[in-house]
Amino acid sequence: MSLLKTFSRILITTLVLFITIHNSTYADGGFPVRPGRLLISPSVSYFFANTEWDSLGVKRPFPNNGKFSSIGVTLYSEYGISKRWAFVATLPYVINNYTQSISPTSTITNGLTDLETGIRYYLANINFIYYFSIQGTAITPLYTNNASLGYGEEGAELKLAVSGTGHLFGASSYFNVSDGVRQYFGTNGPWQNRYSATYGLSLDKKFMNQISASLSGIYSQSNYKGFVPSMALSNKDFSFLQASLGYGHSFTREFSVFATGGQFLTGRNTGVGTTFSFAFIYRLDYR
Amino acid sequence: MIRGIFTKFLTIVWGLIAITVTKQTFAQTSNNSGTVTTVVKTHSSDGIFNSTASYTFQVDNSYNNTETGKISYLVTTETGKKVKADSISVKIDAHDVESYDFDIPSLKPGFYKINFMINVSDYDDTTRKAFGIKPGEITSQYGKPADFESFWHNAMLELAQVKPQYKVTEMPDSSKDGRRVFLVEMKSLDNMTIRGWLTEPIDKNKNKKFAVLLGLPGYQVTLGPMFGTDPDIAIFTLNIRGSGYSRDEINVRRENYIILNIEDKNKYVLRGAIMDCVRAVDFIYSRPELRHDNIIATGGSLGGFLAVALSSVDKRINFCSAANPILSDIRNLVHEVDWPFIDIRKYVSTRPGLTMDKVLNNMDYFDAKNFATDLECPTLVGMGLVDNIAPPNNVYTLYNGIRARKHIIIFRDLAHEIGSWYNVYEGRWMRDQFALF
Repeated sequence: MSLLKTFSRILITTLVLFITIHNSTYADGGFPVRPGRLLISPSVSYFFANTEWDSLGVKRPFPNNGKFSSIGVTLYSEYGISKRWAFVATLPYVINNYTQSISPTSTITNGLTDLETGIRYYLANINFIYYFSIQGTAITPLYTNNASLGYGEEGAELKLAVSGTGHLFGASSYFNVSDGVRQYFGTNGPWQNRYSATYGLSLDKKFMNQISASLSGIYSQSNYKGFVPSMALSNKDFSFLQASLGYGHSFTREFSVFATGGQFLTGRNTGVGTTFSFAFIYRLDYR
Repeated sequence: MIRGIFTKFLTIVWGLIAITVTKQTFAQTSNNSGTVTTVVKTHSSDGIFNSTASYTFQVDNSYNNTETGKISYLVTTETGKKVKADSISVKIDAHDVESYDFDIPSLKPGFYKINFMINVSDYDDTTRKAFGIKPGEITSQYGKPADFESFWHNAMLELAQVKPQYKVTEMPDSSKDGRRVFLVEMKSLDNMTIRGWLTEPIDKNKNKKFAVLLGLPGYQVTLGPMFGTDPDIAIFTLNIRGSGYSRDEINVRRENYIILNIEDKNKYVLRGAIMDCVRAVDFIYSRPELRHDNIIATGGSLGGFLAVALSSVDKRINFCSAANPILSDIRNLVHEVDWPFIDIRKYVSTRPGLTMDKVLNNMDYFDAKNFATDLECPTLVGMGLVDNIAPPNNVYTLYNGIRARKHIIIFRDLAHEIGSWYNVYEGRWMRDQFALF
């Protein structure tokens, strides 16, 4: 009977049902997308700069007391086609404003910029903790002859991303690291290396609140070396490194908000940017 | 005369007291308070080695005097047959720590038990461990019956003749964790009534379909409704015939369950129990709110056995998880474990004409390793290295027979149980398998 007692203690071993933090993380990482899930994320961002790093990385004020600000409204979306494949799209709209002490004292431009549409493929995982994905993206300008909105050139990007989950001081955590190489197909390119690393920490066991820290940047290279502060989106030969802090709150499993603030740390041929963004995330399951 | 005896008695008592006091006094005057503590470190996180098992024996002497003696080891097979033994002389200075490395080479593939013994001046102790050598090469010398598949195919056909007569009753008072609870009653093989509990997440989306975790019971375990906050998973816990809530027709003492009709493979209780599990899958398929392509069968001990058997005979299972599955490689198991053969032998001895050979011939149709070769779904297996009910050799024989995608998690220092990492890994794999990202 003692043996019977021993193994009667074994009930069902596996009723620890598991929801990982990546179910509630922000979009666009290495984690796969659930088939049939549509993620829609409208966001509003604000960018401001009144100083620049020149081509040697020396910091100085914009000429003529110039100030550049930009309000962006972006619609990001991803949809899980199957276990391996997901469709992603980004539709940005910006309102740029450059002011200075000489005429013209204010230059305002607005419009849709570059539409990004892509396909993400879930490559592999390690122990179902670390996930790898690769994404191909097409860049399509939604404007013509407006250097304030972008290069006006088509482009393509190939991005590798890895994401994972873990624990820190008893709290659930996640990370996303991605690196994408982008080429614009017009005169003087440019080609760009876009990288990002994010570490996030859940503040509670239900993943309702989380904070994150990011480092991201772009290294853009082109034969065209010019830098015009009022047309920040059309500079081709530049680089910057930005640090960001974010806070996210999930109201339900389907709806979250993220607030992020960032500051450019170093750069070349670019404004010393300060950024704020606010994003809404809706997750809708159609399967 | 009596007075003389009493005087002698008093003399002896006083003598014993005097000796005791003297011993204590000497101990106090020698001022040798302290202890010896030992730690055996296995140089493999899961106790598995390619060829040479390797350990470090650490001794911490907190006595005021030097401890001398020997440290030895004894390696045996799982059945207790001696394989290797060795010893070394040791001398550990007062308040010193010494470490001794032991390498045990040239062992055949398989699992072994190893006892480390320390015998020094003031301390004797034995530490028991187990390890495996190239377990991927372990096989059984016993095959499966030629008609194994047809035996189970016929059982499935027989079950199909029984109308399920599902009766689903919602139990609103039992609802919790945002889950609705249903008592499910149905007819299974031999027209027996079996019951289970279905819990489903309450979801605003009326068209939402849930993946299903089918929980299978350990030996004579009563399974009630299972809860949890996972919004994607419905849980169906089954009480097989003669267990828990399914005792209408079979209600025997727990030690008699495993031997019920063991003399006839067509009437053996586990044949019906496995068909009960198939009927549970029939039930899942009858429910439109449950995903029919996302079913995990999971359990531990007998539940692990049932998970393997069910997933083998019923290809509608999409993911199998078996922790400490019992009844694997039964003909070798006979010599390795007490249960259930202690009860089976007792039963055989009371049944004229019934022999152990005949029982084993029948049990071949209920051998977990024979089911394993027919598994087609991804399968996770968990085992404890010092399990004396589902021994490592037998579980690994089952595991090696699986041709589908598989993974085993070994718990080096656990017996008939698994650690929390198994549950975590299972949950993650299940979510990945069912694309519940």
